[in-house]
Amino acid sequence: MACVPFLLLIEDDDAIRTGLELALSRQGHRVVAAATGEEGLERLREQRPDLIVLDVMLPGIDGFEVCRRIRRTDQLPIILLTARSDDIDVVVGLESGADDYVVKPIQPRVLDARIRAVLRRGERDSTDSASFGSIVIDRSAMTVTKDGNDLQLTPTELRLLLELSRRPGQALSRQQLLRLVWEHDYLGDSRLVDACVQRLRAKVEDVPSSPKLIRTVRGVGYRLDPPQ
Amino acid sequence: MRFRAALSRLRFGSLRLRLVAVFAAVALTAAVSVSGIAYWLNRDAVLTRAQNAALNDFRASMTRNVGSLPVNPPCDELQEAANRMAASTQNYQVLLIAKDGNGNECAATSDRDVFTLDQVPAALQKAVNKPRPLKDGNEAAYHLYWQRTAPGGRPFLVGGAKMMGNGPTGYMYKSLDAERSDLNSLAWSLGIATLLALIGAALLAQAAASTVLRPVQRLGDAARRLGEGHLDTRLRVSGTDELAELSRTFNSAAEALQRRVEELSDREEASRRFVADMSHELRTPLTAITAVTEVLEEEADALDPMIEPAVRLVVTETRRLGDLVENLMEVTRFDAGTAKLRADEVDVADMVTACIDTRAWLDAVELDAPRGIVVRLDPRRLDVILANLIGNALKHGGSPVRVTVRTEDHAAARSASVEGGGGRREGGAAARSASVEGGGGRREGHAAARSASVAGGGGPGAGAELVVEVADNGPGIPEDVLPHVFDRFYKADASRARSEGSGLGLSIAMENAHIHGGTITAANRPEGGAVFTLRLPIPPAEHHDSGDPCDHGAPNEPEEGRS
Repeated sequence: MACVPFLLLIEDDDAIRTGLELALSRQGHRVVAAATGEEGLERLREQRPDLIVLDVMLPGIDGFEVCRRIRRTDQLPIILLTARSDDIDVVVGLESGADDYVVKPIQPRVLDARIRAVLRRGERDSTDSASFGSIVIDRSAMTVTKDGNDLQLTPTELRLLLELSRRPGQALSRQQLLRLVWEHDYLGDSRLVDACVQRLRAKVEDVPSSPKLIRTVRGVGYRLDPPQ
Repeated sequence: MRFRAALSRLRFGSLRLRLVAVFAAVALTAAVSVSGIAYWLNRDAVLTRAQNAALNDFRASMTRNVGSLPVNPPCDELQEAANRMAASTQNYQVLLIAKDGNGNECAATSDRDVFTLDQVPAALQKAVNKPRPLKDGNEAAYHLYWQRTAPGGRPFLVGGAKMMGNGPTGYMYKSLDAERSDLNSLAWSLGIATLLALIGAALLAQAAASTVLRPVQRLGDAARRLGEGHLDTRLRVSGTDELAELSRTFNSAAEALQRRVEELSDREEASRRFVADMSHELRTPLTAITAVTEVLEEEADALDPMIEPAVRLVVTETRRLGDLVENLMEVTRFDAGTAKLRADEVDVADMVTACIDTRAWLDAVELDAPRGIVVRLDPRRLDVILANLIGNALKHGGSPVRVTVRTEDHAAARSASVEGGGGRREGGAAARSASVEGGGGRREGHAAARSASVAGGGGPGAGAELVVEVADNGPGIPEDVLPHVFDRFYKADASRARSEGSGLGLSIAMENAHIHGGTITAANRPEGGAVFTLRLPIPPAEHHDSGDPCDHGAPNEPEEGRS
């Protein structure tokens, strides 16, 4: 990513918004801030950010709803700001399509690292392609097609599929996937992987409830089955 | 538990026993005294009547038969008279003694085999033959005398009289066998009646005991339920007796207790919610401040030397405040029971290494952890435990801190301690840990029970434990502080209250161990320094998974994939 990352920050608390804007700008990001979900969606229409930093607790439509509305049309990465890591917030947020989350109080350095990791997922790192049944993964174009139709994958989903497709038939643990895809340290939240796998299955599997491609390996993690 | 139940049954039994004994004693006393009196009265009446009838008959028969004889009757006449007398309905034998005309003594008996003079006691003979002086109130020189004898254990009535005017002396000999057997059967009946009364009393006592003890047992059950925390336990009050009164008292006591406990738990809940809300509220401004402090920190070097320390202070204290609020929230989550376990398969050695690595403790920690111990646990919580234990050891004990990771098979450890050889150290640690536990003792017992049940139910390896020891070389923990090391905000030394972390670290570590079903114990090593031992049960299901060939391939993969 050669140019300066362009972020949309949606946060209702003035102090936090100002503080984060300040800190993120210092980290070298271009930041546009919005105080409500509605305003954020409006900003999104006007401009084209690389990534959205989204607070969960918002007046009016909340962060989850904003997330769901963005995902209907857009696959750009979303990082949630949540109050607690144990909360149901995280699960709901991940199910509504967020790529990652950061728990308050936020250390700008951590947030910056997450932002950069998410943005890196969209980067091309190989030029070959692979096919798994009806799914074709084109690593040079960073596209995935199913029966010839383009699949709309978020950068995280795409990266997850790429990492799994590099080791077809081999089970990868959630912690491994967290390191490979999310670039999280040893304490990554395995729910990120589970949620992302669910979303990915919904897009690539014929019947998402009985997956044929991305299999769950009990007690280990996930595995992409090689083409039959 | 079973022992206590048996004990309580025994106690109930003894009350029952006492009641039965009292009832039986009362019944026995009453029956024995009534039968005794009845027996003696009856015996007296029966004997007197039989005796009087016999003696009267004898007197009349004597007058009739002997009175008509001459003064010195011939022997054969005397014999005839004796036979005639013995033929009476009273059924006695007769012995008549007189001097015949020749002055010879003649003794005529109705049955020579049964009755001779030998059977007549000497005292009776003497009394019969002794003439009494005649005076007012005594108009006869000779009287009818009688005596009861029992030769050979059979009762007899012996009576004797002398005819007036130095006539023949007559004796009668009557068997009292019939009376005796009557009395014996009476005694038997009375004995049986007494026995029946005794049995009846025992049964009655049993019934009475049941009617008394059933409410008592209900009361006991209710009290136990109350003790187990079912504060809504109430007794059905029926009747107006003392037990009903007791039940009523119990109910009102339970009600008061319930009200009080509810009040207390409401108050506790309120204060808990207050802490939770407050720490949550603190977080918003703290987030804003934290965001800006990093900016300040990065600029600190370029600032005026007068201002730079101030900025540094703000930065470090903000971080401390952040940690404190974070810990507070963690604690409130544990208190509210909303803390959740997010378990994952983790290589413990990797976890410990990563934990030490991220905090830049690699130089200060000696790690003895074999790779390949894969346990299902919450990695974040294990990290919190390890960070708190190691951080605490570094703070108080100084480096090097020694961290040892191993697994222990519960069953093996137990059998070793039974042998008394290698297991002694384990046993000692367990005993010490129990005394250290203090407040958390009950929960630890629960965990122990759970792991024991796991060991009983599972196959080989079930009930295994992950053991992580964190030992330092510091001065150790004073004995009076040892029971409190896991208390919240407990400061061993008032003077070092500051800059020692939030004061919640070890308490949070303990809570994190508990949520895994494990525990942490603190102790002093004999060779000096403190040792904290974390024990987490290894779920048995995890062992099946580690047998999966995929699992062995997986952990070695990331290095390859990353490069």
